[in-house]
Amino acid sequence: MKSLFTIREGGVASWVIRLVTAAAVFLVVLWVPTRTGAGTILTVIEALVLMSAAMSLNLLLGYTGLISIGHSAFLGMGAYTTGILVSRYGWSPWLTFPVAFVLSFILGVIVSFPSSRIKGVYLALVTLALALVFPQLATWKKLSWLTGGGAGLPAQDAQVAETGFNIGAQARGQMQFFEIFDWGPFGDLRKPDNKAAFFYWIAVVVVVVVYLVCRGLVKSRVGRSMVAIRDNETAAAVMGINLVATKAFVFGISAGLCALPGCVTAIKTGGVSPEGIQSLTVRGAITFLIVMVIGGAGSLWGPIIGGGIYVFVTDKTGSWASDDSIPGVLRPFFGWAKISPSDGIFAVLLILLMFVAPRGLAGVWKQYSPMVVRVLRRPAGAVGVAPVALAVTPNINHPEGEMQ
Amino acid sequence: MKQRKKTWAAALTAGALLLAACGGDDGGSADTTAAAVETTEGATETTEGGSTETTEVVTDSTELAMPEGWAVDTSLCVDPDAANAPIEGTIKIGSVMPLSGGPAAAAFAPVKDGFEAYIKYANENNLLDGVTIEVAIEDDQFNAELTPGAVSKLIDSGSHIFSGIIGTANNAAVRGTLNDNCIPQLANLTGSPDWGEAADYPWTTGQLAPYTVESQIYAAQIAELYPDGATVSLFHVNNEFGQVYVDAFTELADEYGITIVSEETVEATDSAPPVAQITNIATEAPDVIMAVPLGNQCVSFLTEVDKAKAANSGWAPAVFLTNTCASSRILGASGAAANGLYTSNNLIDVADPANAEVPTVAEYLAFMAAEGKSEIVSIATAGWTAAEVTVAVLIQAAASPEGLTQASIINAARNFTYVPMLGIDGVVFKMMGEEDTFIAESLIVRQYNAATATFTDIGELITEFES
Amino acid sequence: MELFFQRLIDGLAQGSVYSLIALGLVIIYRGTGHLNFAQGEMALFCAYCVYQFGEWGIHVWIALPMGMAVGFMLGALAEVTLVRPISNKSPFAVFIVTLGLFTFLNWLDGAIWGNQNLPNSGVGSKQQSYPSLFPNARDDFWQPFGVTIRYDRAGILLLVLVITALLFLLFNKTKFGLAMRAVASNTESAKLAGIRTNTVLMVSWGLAAAIGAVGGVVIAGLNSNVNLGLMFTVFIYGSAAATLGGFDSPGGAVLGGLIIGVVENMSSGYAQKWIGQDMKLAVAFVVILAVLLIKPSGLFGTAKVERV
Repeated sequence: MKSLFTIREGGVASWVIRLVTAAAVFLVVLWVPTRTGAGTILTVIEALVLMSAAMSLNLLLGYTGLISIGHSAFLGMGAYTTGILVSRYGWSPWLTFPVAFVLSFILGVIVSFPSSRIKGVYLALVTLALALVFPQLATWKKLSWLTGGGAGLPAQDAQVAETGFNIGAQARGQMQFFEIFDWGPFGDLRKPDNKAAFFYWIAVVVVVVVYLVCRGLVKSRVGRSMVAIRDNETAAAVMGINLVATKAFVFGISAGLCALPGCVTAIKTGGVSPEGIQSLTVRGAITFLIVMVIGGAGSLWGPIIGGGIYVFVTDKTGSWASDDSIPGVLRPFFGWAKISPSDGIFAVLLILLMFVAPRGLAGVWKQYSPMVVRVLRRPAGAVGVAPVALAVTPNINHPEGEMQ
Repeated sequence: MKQRKKTWAAALTAGALLLAACGGDDGGSADTTAAAVETTEGATETTEGGSTETTEVVTDSTELAMPEGWAVDTSLCVDPDAANAPIEGTIKIGSVMPLSGGPAAAAFAPVKDGFEAYIKYANENNLLDGVTIEVAIEDDQFNAELTPGAVSKLIDSGSHIFSGIIGTANNAAVRGTLNDNCIPQLANLTGSPDWGEAADYPWTTGQLAPYTVESQIYAAQIAELYPDGATVSLFHVNNEFGQVYVDAFTELADEYGITIVSEETVEATDSAPPVAQITNIATEAPDVIMAVPLGNQCVSFLTEVDKAKAANSGWAPAVFLTNTCASSRILGASGAAANGLYTSNNLIDVADPANAEVPTVAEYLAFMAAEGKSEIVSIATAGWTAAEVTVAVLIQAAASPEGLTQASIINAARNFTYVPMLGIDGVVFKMMGEEDTFIAESLIVRQYNAATATFTDIGELITEFES
Repeated sequence: MELFFQRLIDGLAQGSVYSLIALGLVIIYRGTGHLNFAQGEMALFCAYCVYQFGEWGIHVWIALPMGMAVGFMLGALAEVTLVRPISNKSPFAVFIVTLGLFTFLNWLDGAIWGNQNLPNSGVGSKQQSYPSLFPNARDDFWQPFGVTIRYDRAGILLLVLVITALLFLLFNKTKFGLAMRAVASNTESAKLAGIRTNTVLMVSWGLAAAIGAVGGVVIAGLNSNVNLGLMFTVFIYGSAAATLGGFDSPGGAVLGGLIIGVVENMSSGYAQKWIGQDMKLAVAFVVILAVLLIKPSGLFGTAKVERV
């Protein structure tokens, strides 16, 4: 096909493009906490949490083909782990991240065992039931000594009256400054702007970690096994891939990664309960799925785009239930609705995408960007090229596995 | 390849752990016990500052001459200057209420109308001399996750104070932020005992009588009805709101000769009739059912109990219902099923024609009728009274030496004595520093008559819990 | 002993509601091999429509067939425009489309009628409570041997049995039913035999949605109100019922629903401290899991032979 530009892989042009993109991303990431108010930062944190959750779901659904509408349970697992450890046992919130990962990993592995016998939409049903049961489990009276029951955490009878969540006034002995070697980069953490910026950076670190883990996994041998399982399970088994072990591993990693945004949410909200954190109910699981599909299943950075778009649209149209908030041009289209149109927009988008672009927006990009920029691959065995560098460059023109 | 990724991962983890170890300072010393109790200038008295309006307005604030009032310590604020900055011209009140969503919104959405009506009334009668009061009420769908966002939005758009936020979890979600930033959170429309923590959260006050007091009053009433001890089943919504009642009631059980035979729950988002729960309760056939459903769940609860009573002839339990449902609009939807239930209140039943002659009630009804809101007068009294208390606080603060500032507002709120327009005879709203941290502690037990859709008072106004 | 029978009756009554949803799921699965995630929401939309008809003064027994007709059209439309073009792509695509439909219908209900419990005098509803098909006043019950059987619950159970009987007649005694069975068994051969498979598929979806409509109206009637979250948990119970009974057996679906209703009621009643009300969904979850692990085709379903 004809493309507007042709650049050489590894040449100056491709490096320039990469640097510019990296700089742009970096600037955006820096701009949010420093130039916008607490409200916007909190909204962006929501987007970051969604991105992490969608990326973890992507590992399972996009790359391995196992349908799960239950990731909200794993997110809830992370949130409750942090809540319980901090509120009841006085742990430092930072240490709860790895613990939440491990616990959620174990839960994921357990859930994966039935998946060898249960396939396709049946697995979806099982995971949906899991997502529905989790909030019930969390408010179960029998467990209220641990989870705080219906009221949630921090509980009235928490062993630790002052929890690390409340980054609050000095009077309450709470964490007021976050200091690294006596340098407090965020200032007084009680100010909404500073507090929000603090949580923002935690969320960004989580997104980066999740992305790196996903990338590492996908590009490894395990990643290829995952794709093989997705494309044709029986053939994969014939080729010698241990289905049970691979599925268990991927389920575990996916669940563990999904717990990390749960920890972030718990810290940001300052308390854990199904009422207080909607992402750990079924609504959350469906949202992750929507974000992942819209962004691009089977693509590493697709969920990131999806998360951004989802939160952007939801935020902008959030108040459109009342007609005066709708900009005049769009009023005839959305004015008749009694609630905000964001759910409807995404539902329609989801259906449309299945028809025109099953691989989501990332898929659209991959399909059409070659028309603009075509990257000439370097011939194998060329002088002075380290094999490592070749493997690390992103495949701009080659879709990463086909989603049927 | 794997090796490289492993080292990356290891480096990252090490870095993260390093950061975690070094970061996280645990604040400074907790040497603040003195601070809150210290008296500086602060609000010392109330004057008749607000009562200089037209004769129809019947407000009544008694003199409170205290040589040393309680005053909040603004040095702990994130921005002490903002807390002491004078508010001129317009004061913006923000609030967050469930305007849409599930059972809570179905029952409580009209509270907004009552609140806004009083503010309009106050502006029309220029109660706060020279200052216009603006109100902005956001919808959080009774979802505590959305409340902080709504509050942030209102702060960004200039709200000076918050008042009348509905929901225990909802108020708790924003209490920390508002206290840290020294923004008064007045008249929380819930009765959680948490709002009495004046030492830790001085900027937050509650409006409703604490649920613990309500539970105690019901327990006392049960003991009166059943001097030889009663068997009680508890039915409550499974969240913080319901849990407070249950905990308080369970603690008091022995004292009043009450045996709790079963406890049933219903989820906060569930609007289905609690058939299984009531069947279970019916098998125990207790003397009393103590029920704390949420909003419209009261209606389905009462209907189910009625059906169970019909099926189990000979079982006629006394039903005690949380006073958040004690409005004839909610109970009216239950029809005959609500007959004979016990509840409580500290406000006059404005839907009762017998009360229409009381001057303050007549004025309220006339104003609401002019606004076209006659249908919701009974449930709107909660909003009206919350706004009324807020405006009275503002008037008092404006008359103080510092004028109208956020600090003076909360000081006024905590050195406050006031008789509300729609209060029952003998009800006085009073808060005094850290000795009396609940504004309303008197309640009267009432019984509902479904035929006339009115309440009958049982006994006298119980004021023994007033501190 | 009375309590046991009481719980049994209550369980059967509750289970019959699940059966209605399960029936819809099974009909679609038999015809097209897909699980319709939007089944609950289609039912909800029809329930809202019946509410609206009631607002316009139409008696519920007339509004119900009207609602069923709406459901039929909705199901048929969904099949023709959404599912058929997608079905030759992966099952994942179909799943996402039905999920999208689920979200869309739920949003549409909210957009048209608002996010609240209806009827609601606050927004000017004329009806006091959602119309019930059968008498459900305080004294409408029958008490043989000390077991309370309410008219409305007995009525619902009866209605489910009647619908099942009608379906049985449809499938086994009519030509169209024969065509449906042929398409379910082997679509290609059915086409070759001259059966208009497209029409059959369309009608299957329409029929399933119409039955779902009955389910929605019944549930809303029991609830005395209709709201956006009405069908979430019912859908799961319905799926559990269909799984238990076998996804391609209508009789199995009904039986599965009844069994799950009984099991759920018994376990939450007898193990009150442990399961009580909080963990009722866990029962459905355990059932789904157990069935899928032990006998994936359910009690009455036919095992799928997967050709590699």
